Amino acid sequence: MKKFKSAVFYGIITKMRPLIIFYLVEYGFLALIMALMALYTGKVEVGINGVEISSAVFLSVMGGLSFKEDFKAFLQNGFTRRYIFISTFCSFILISAAMALTDALIGNILHHFIKFTMYFGTFYGYNHPFANWLWLTVAYVTFCSIFYLAALVVNKVGKSTSLLIAVGLAGAGLLITYLFRFVFTPELVGKIGRFTLNSLGFMNDGTINLFFPILTFTVIAALFALASYALLRRTELK
Amino acid sequence: MKGIEIKKVTKRYREVTALDNVSISFELGKIYGLLGRNGAGKSTLINIVSNRIFADSGEILIDGIPAKENMAVHDKLFCMSETDLYDKDLKVIEHFKWTKRFYADFELEKALALSEKYKLDTNKRFRALSKGYQSIFKLIIALSLAAPYVIFDEPVLGLDANHRELFYSLLLKEFESGERTFIIATHLIEEVSNIIEEVVLIDKGKVLLKDSVENLLENGYGVSGAKAAVESFCKGKNVIGFEELGGLKIAYIIGKKAALPKDGSLQISAINLQKLFVKMTGEEF
Repeated sequence: MKKFKSAVFYGIITKMRPLIIFYLVEYGFLALIMALMALYTGKVEVGINGVEISSAVFLSVMGGLSFKEDFKAFLQNGFTRRYIFISTFCSFILISAAMALTDALIGNILHHFIKFTMYFGTFYGYNHPFANWLWLTVAYVTFCSIFYLAALVVNKVGKSTSLLIAVGLAGAGLLITYLFRFVFTPELVGKIGRFTLNSLGFMNDGTINLFFPILTFTVIAALFALASYALLRRTELK
Repeated sequence: MKGIEIKKVTKRYREVTALDNVSISFELGKIYGLLGRNGAGKSTLINIVSNRIFADSGEILIDGIPAKENMAVHDKLFCMSETDLYDKDLKVIEHFKWTKRFYADFELEKALALSEKYKLDTNKRFRALSKGYQSIFKLIIALSLAAPYVIFDEPVLGLDANHRELFYSLLLKEFESGERTFIIATHLIEEVSNIIEEVVLIDKGKVLLKDSVENLLENGYGVSGAKAAVESFCKGKNVIGFEELGGLKIAYIIGKKAALPKDGSLQISAINLQKLFVKMTGEEF
């Protein structure tokens, strides 16, 4: 248990420096924009600010690098792949939760004073701070999981095959668009649309269910995490 | 059984068989030299033992416990690798502290004392160290960790003569302080010949020999003289190689020393480990 805790801490502490720099730059930049707005227009209205997107990009990069850097360090220190997987995802969850808390807290406080908008607030309103934090946490973990898996795939199949896979995914995206526009019946499209909206918490009767979007992101993150484990347990040092 | 047992391990990379049905054991309380040419399979074997890569077939046991994906062997084995696996952005002192958290038997004070001996700046980041000091850093971690089995993969890479000597003396000191096994994979055969007790020679993915240094040096010898006389002497003997210089021929033989002809046409000489291995693996290292 002590070793497991140490591995989780390693995953977190070694990311602290870039994380602090990221937040200093991000919120410093935001403060600068607000100061300039106040100076030149006399009021501060930031609108959609992209704070969550920036955090998601940071976590995506961190997810990819976690495999590249930490996997080797953990192998050097005698950890098994199962330990590496569990500790890595625990650190993803803890970092995501901390970042979500920071973003949700600052975002909601600023929302009360200036018209600072956040994605969760825009979709679901600003009266659910706990749900906002939870939603943001699972969304951030999803980004970590996707890019952790992507790094594992690149390591497994190599750069050339990875590029082919990326082209294939882009093609699949186009194919799906084509299917929706020209192949699927309007009924089927309607059903898929309703299912998607329901999974994001927008129910048929016009109400909002905050549990569903959190569950949806949790399921997506879990699927990518499971796929990552399936690959990681066969991954060898190169 | 106390020790590392490697049972029928095979590893293939597409067309290449890196290890071919290798079975070997390393007992507790000995210093082994794991020797072989580039691409012989040394690093593959080390990586499989330390769970960094997987064997296609076969099994590794450490003190009777399966080593593959098993945290139960975590504190028993440590591998200092030639490849840099450490986070390059962390400082040396941070690496020491993390190792202390990962391994209960890591002695931080000893690591700091050794850093002073080697004049390693512990406030430097790993990436800022020279190749030699990166090796020293990895050696210090391995020497400060009281694991029963420690593997050194090319431990003195980039080290100057003084630092190499210091490493060998520290290694012997460590060895004397408790029942441990050190496995040294290296190309510098002559340098380690005074330290190692047993030799494992790997070539083309197979174990060519495993024997004590003493036995090998006792049973290996060279015979030189006129070509015809040497060839006549060698008949029926286990000759591992020849060298020719003009009319003079030298034969390298493994086995009990036979009496030389009384006419004085032949001379017998000792053979060193390096020469023995060069001849056994067929080509010059």
